[in-house]
Amino acid sequence: MRTGTTELGDARRRVEQLITELPGPGGDGEQLSFTEPWELRAFSVAVAAYHRGLYDWSEFQLALIGAIRRWEGDPESAPWSYYERWLEALETVLSGTGVLTGTELDGHAAAVLAKPRTTDHHQARREPVAVDPAR
Amino acid sequence: MTKSETSPSPTATVPRSEAEIAARVKALESILIEKGLMTTEAVDRFAEIYENEVGPQLGAGVVAKAWTDPDFKARLIEDGTKACAEMGIGGLQGEDMVVVENTDTVHNVIVCTLCSCYPWPTLGLPPNWYKQPAYRSRMVREPRTVLRESFDLDVPDSVEIRVWDSSSEMRYWVLPQRPAGTDGMSEKELAALVTRDSMIGVGRPKSP
Repeated sequence: MRTGTTELGDARRRVEQLITELPGPGGDGEQLSFTEPWELRAFSVAVAAYHRGLYDWSEFQLALIGAIRRWEGDPESAPWSYYERWLEALETVLSGTGVLTGTELDGHAAAVLAKPRTTDHHQARREPVAVDPAR
Repeated sequence: MTKSETSPSPTATVPRSEAEIAARVKALESILIEKGLMTTEAVDRFAEIYENEVGPQLGAGVVAKAWTDPDFKARLIEDGTKACAEMGIGGLQGEDMVVVENTDTVHNVIVCTLCSCYPWPTLGLPPNWYKQPAYRSRMVREPRTVLRESFDLDVPDSVEIRVWDSSSEMRYWVLPQRPAGTDGMSEKELAALVTRDSMIGVGRPKSP
């Protein structure tokens, strides 16, 4: 069940190469860090979409710089969140290529919010599901 | 094309809740998958590289506090959710956390038998193997063997193993035993010894 550490290390180096050119954490050898799972998911979707050829990395880079600038230039803007700007950049490049429209995403997001978190595992189990006794 | 003409509602000026943003990311991913432009596996592959960097340090802080503060430990065992909230830890999917304590006679391990329910506010994202059917079913059937063979963790025969099934209503995680030789260490030093695997129950904390 362990993952090949070398393979993972190689993949990590390739991803880190990619992000050294970006503003924000990860540039200049700074450690990437995520505080919420969605941040890592948004990060991974952007990298996966690039690998799939949905856009050039330079397009994403420009979109991210733009998103950060817009945030800086708006006195009314929400509190700073790097990965919110990241998500905005991702939305921008994907709508730019016609893959995604804003209304489509708004609709999907509303549907996700309306849905119970999991539909298949709601029963709380208060006892161990298995016990291997001492012998 | 400028942003205002083409892109979804401008995020910079619309404050969204954490839940709304998380839903947006999920929606974005599912649209790309539905259109056949991407696979979950591809996203997982990149997420896997960094999964260790989300969260487990929060749980490690809770464990270290429990090791040094008996009153806090009692509150943590009594009501995991409430005790974690004292430290500002909680959130989506963390509403009902139950912390099970390892002792000299009991070793605990967590699993989600049906899907991948996991106490992510303290442990971060589940590692890929946690979500795999092999782990989910085998850990229930033969925990002692799985711990030894897949995780190099030998639980002595004199110790009972309890396997806890996390669901969306109740998520378990493990309070590991404080390692020997750590007397006088600060909470911060202790937290550095706590691993994600030790809070799942498939490993032990590091030795100082």
